[in-house]
Amino acid sequence: MINAVLVFNGQGQPRLTKFYTQLETSIQQRLISEIFTLVSNRPDGACNFLPLPPILAASGTSQSASEPHNDVPSLVTYRHYATLYFIIISTSTESPLALLDLIQVYVESLDKLFENVCELDLIFNFETLHSALSEMIVGGVVIETNMDRIVSGVKAQGTVAKRPVNEARPSGLGAGLGGSFVWPGR
Amino acid sequence: MYVRGLRCKLSFEKSLYDLIRGMRNHKGNEREYIQNCLKECRAEIRSQDLDLKATAMLKLVYLEMFGHDMSWASFHVLEVMASPKYHQKRVGYLGAVQSFRPDTEVLMLATNLLKKDLTGASTTTIALPIVALPHLITPSLALSTLSDLLPRLSHSNPTIRKKTIVTLYRLALVFPETLRAAWPKIKEKLMDTREDPSVTAAIVNVVCELGWRRPNDFLPLAPRLFELLVDSGNNWMAIKLIKLFATLTPLEPRLVRKLLPPLTEIIRSTPAMSLLYECINGIIQGGILGSGDDDDGREEIASLCVSKLRSMIMVDGDPNLKYVALLAFNKIVVTHPWLVAQQEDVILECIDSTDISIRIKSLDLVQGMVSSENLISIVSRLMRQLKSASPENGRNAAVDPADLDSDEEALEETINPRQKNSGQSQPLPDDYRADVINRILDMCSRNNYSNLTDFEWYIDILTQLVRMVPLPRPTNDLESSASYKSNIGDASEQIGDELRNVTVKVHAIRPACVEAANAILMQFDKDAPSGHPVTSGAVKPIAWVIGEFATETSSPDDSLGSLLQLIPRVTSPESLAACLQAATKVFSLIAGDSIAPWTPERKSMISLLMARIIHVFEPLAMHPNLEVQERAVEFIELLKLTAEAVSGQDAVGEAFSPEECAFPGGLGFDEPINPNLNSLLANAQPLSMPTEEADEFEIYYNKRPPPTSIVSEPAINRLVESREDVVGSYQQQPTEDAYLDPDILARRKAERRERNKDDPFYIGEGSSLTGTSTPIHNILQNSNGPDLDRERSIPVTHSSSPKPPRQKIVIAADENLAGSGGSTPRHYDSENNSDSFTKLRAKQLKQSVLLGVDSTNIGSLNLEAEPDSRGYDPEAQQREEAEMARAMKEVERLRLEMQRANERIQVAQGVDAEGTVVKKKSKKKASASTPAEGEGGDSGAAVKAKKKKKKVVVPDGGDGPNDDKQTPAPAKETVESVGEPAAVKPKKKKKKARPVEIQD
Repeated sequence: MINAVLVFNGQGQPRLTKFYTQLETSIQQRLISEIFTLVSNRPDGACNFLPLPPILAASGTSQSASEPHNDVPSLVTYRHYATLYFIIISTSTESPLALLDLIQVYVESLDKLFENVCELDLIFNFETLHSALSEMIVGGVVIETNMDRIVSGVKAQGTVAKRPVNEARPSGLGAGLGGSFVWPGR
Repeated sequence: MYVRGLRCKLSFEKSLYDLIRGMRNHKGNEREYIQNCLKECRAEIRSQDLDLKATAMLKLVYLEMFGHDMSWASFHVLEVMASPKYHQKRVGYLGAVQSFRPDTEVLMLATNLLKKDLTGASTTTIALPIVALPHLITPSLALSTLSDLLPRLSHSNPTIRKKTIVTLYRLALVFPETLRAAWPKIKEKLMDTREDPSVTAAIVNVVCELGWRRPNDFLPLAPRLFELLVDSGNNWMAIKLIKLFATLTPLEPRLVRKLLPPLTEIIRSTPAMSLLYECINGIIQGGILGSGDDDDGREEIASLCVSKLRSMIMVDGDPNLKYVALLAFNKIVVTHPWLVAQQEDVILECIDSTDISIRIKSLDLVQGMVSSENLISIVSRLMRQLKSASPENGRNAAVDPADLDSDEEALEETINPRQKNSGQSQPLPDDYRADVINRILDMCSRNNYSNLTDFEWYIDILTQLVRMVPLPRPTNDLESSASYKSNIGDASEQIGDELRNVTVKVHAIRPACVEAANAILMQFDKDAPSGHPVTSGAVKPIAWVIGEFATETSSPDDSLGSLLQLIPRVTSPESLAACLQAATKVFSLIAGDSIAPWTPERKSMISLLMARIIHVFEPLAMHPNLEVQERAVEFIELLKLTAEAVSGQDAVGEAFSPEECAFPGGLGFDEPINPNLNSLLANAQPLSMPTEEADEFEIYYNKRPPPTSIVSEPAINRLVESREDVVGSYQQQPTEDAYLDPDILARRKAERRERNKDDPFYIGEGSSLTGTSTPIHNILQNSNGPDLDRERSIPVTHSSSPKPPRQKIVIAADENLAGSGGSTPRHYDSENNSDSFTKLRAKQLKQSVLLGVDSTNIGSLNLEAEPDSRGYDPEAQQREEAEMARAMKEVERLRLEMQRANERIQVAQGVDAEGTVVKKKSKKKASASTPAEGEGGDSGAAVKAKKKKKKVVVPDGGDGPNDDKQTPAPAKETVESVGEPAAVKPKKKKKKARPVEIQD
């Protein structure tokens, strides 16, 4: 199952945190910062899977493939879009390549919802981020992968706010923000 | 939209929008700004205005994301959750999902709210509690919401249906009994071909999660699942189905035959890489890969899989495929190591990848397939990696290390194209380096060093590793130093332990080990800047080696010197104790040397040495650690006594040799009793066979075997060895250059020269050629001319040369494991420091809970309904509850009648009865005497109560549903329902009242 979905930007500021098991806030933050450290040190052309962050790694060496345990998080998948990192922590029952596609579906759904989504949309509408996620994943299990259904599911919950007009991207509120997404996978 | 709407309405309070803008405008003093906002939120959330409350809640949830605790607001979360307006309710539920923790107390109060919303009118409202429940669920909450959740399985909206299915699964994890009620319905939906495909997909996902926990239950579903796999055309679902089948095939081998054709078909035809990969993965995990008794089909599929995986690794430009292929190989290596060994070349390439994830996975793999043939080359690769990444590169030159590091690496990259792969853009993280070191040690020491052919090489590796251990971060506080010890400190200590083990176990190599230990000790002195403490965990075992085998060192004085220099700087008490002991041992060796004559010079030298030792030890006599203190005090006193004795007498020279130090010098134990003893002994010598045998014995164990024996070894082997030395630049030598420090290399060369000095077949390097040339060599050179040497220098390719001869070295087996020469390294560790090992284990266990879902209960539930106990049926339960309530009302009515009759009697007797008191009393009595009452009059109710007890299943399971043991939970339940029948009424009233609120 999926243990957590995280979104943070290039500076490590969280934009979405969703843990499918209850976790102390301080541990959540530690996990986020450890993953951010890992993710921000990735060289170009590295694969989209992270080694387990120290807080999750049981003991590194001894935990080998010989004793797979399906209950413990064993896979950290990430994708990088423009200024944002999308991370999924999951157990070995999820397919690593399918998770990459899942992130893609999530981002594309957000793109449909916000029309040319950028980080600002996600900052100001983090509630929509949550509701889009809950259309895809419930309790750590994927329930929907069809983009249209996800979008209509979110829209059924209420209108989706557009980004505030005076926060238009060229205003340059924050350095490094903005710019439309480029989908490497498409 | 409504956020901004709120902003207009409440112009003086901040909306979420304002908060976020504020945070962005207060870069630098964000913390202060957030604290102010939190303060405002605290006030706003207490407001009566629900809009204001909800806005404050949303802000709090936003701030919670940044780590600002909002557990204090949990009651307000409930308030917002109860709001009749959907958009406020949604904020409340979000707050609950994000902020409720297992210890949140108000959760108890949420139960009714959740139940109410589950039966709400609109789909969006129903979805809120369904989605939130998995985050909040507890066994008791599961018990009470289950009956409301089950009907949602047949909701008209497929979204609700699939969300409900998943939520039921999460319920089942904490409350396994859920399955008994929900599974038949879920199964029905799965079998229903007209069901919405997305619902079917969700069911498959859930079944896949449940599958590995209780595979037996899902075997009957195999035909339907197979149908879905072949017909659905949904790749997402196919992936899950394959994963599910992989857990089913071990139970039902006949499935394999059925599965193989579609799987092969998918592998050959699918355009989706993820599906292709999962097919291969499923084949591996399902044990479908060829085994001993396989037919052609399986062999074919095995080679198909492996070749696909191989090409995934080889493919350029997609590192993800590389990674997942390694993942798959890691699974194969457990069962089919030979298949993986064939791919050694591509896997070894991955060790040098710039990507740490890929490296770690390939390391896992390599660790599994290491053998005596490839050990040295694998370890060399790893060593080169460590060396190029270690910060030591810059340390020798006194320039800013960070600067130099990158420069040097950049230079390396441009100069040496071969190293392009290992060139680092960043230094490797410390954890990774510690990990690599551990793996190197593990690979080398596996099965009692059975893979190791060259122990001297290993010692050099260990010496080098000690230098490459990541430096501990300079911290003083206790907690972090403890955590540091667990990973990085472990590494250096393990290197030291390894050296100690080799010293003890491999007799032949002992002198070299002790020399290495001395070198490492000196390195410690040199490395740490003066005045800084030496914290390496390797100090302890290395000091022990030096002390214990002091006789093997070439210069005990130097060892003692470096030990004495080190002692004041060692911080860890254990290391300190070992150092004290070692220093004393070495000193006793120096002082007890009975060969050297006892001259005045020696006397003054020993006295000075003792003074120096006492000087070093003295501060430790007050050491807080008792062990250190005790040893220090003992040795100081002993040395002081000896010093007195030395200054007093001239002839006491031998007094310090451990056996004799207590005896006065005049006794003359050494004087032979028979003055002719020496000649007698000399005569006896050639006759006494046992002595000679003993000598042979000694030689066997103590002397290194000659590196070559001319008679027994084929010439080709010599060629291999000389190639290594003379034309090393082609083969192994350069790799050693790449990872060993220059001084180690120099020593290594010198050692080789020394070892081969008298070997007529050895041709030294140019400079030493004249010095070491032997008569035979001269003759050869004279007769053949120098051409012969050139012949020798023709490189022999590695593949064509036979395996280098294994040094004839005796490795002591582990003594306390009777009969098992090949103990695993793990065992070995646990012998050495079982303490730290168990601690590690404990830590592992504790950590594995993090983020994981505990599902231990669900496996033990028995879904098959027993003949005598009906399955858990919430509707039946409700019926029973209603009956029970009716029965209780009846009982109560009777009781009241009796009471009234009683009162009448009392009043008649003239006793004043206070209504309230009597009432209370009667209530208590009522609940206490229920069983008796039931037995007497209303036997039906009692039977029901018993039945109920049986059916309510212990949430913390393990005992099974049939257990008659009375557990607290059901007992409480019965008491509650028995004790307060009146309480049911207001609840019902509430229920009726609430929906009206919603419709507002």
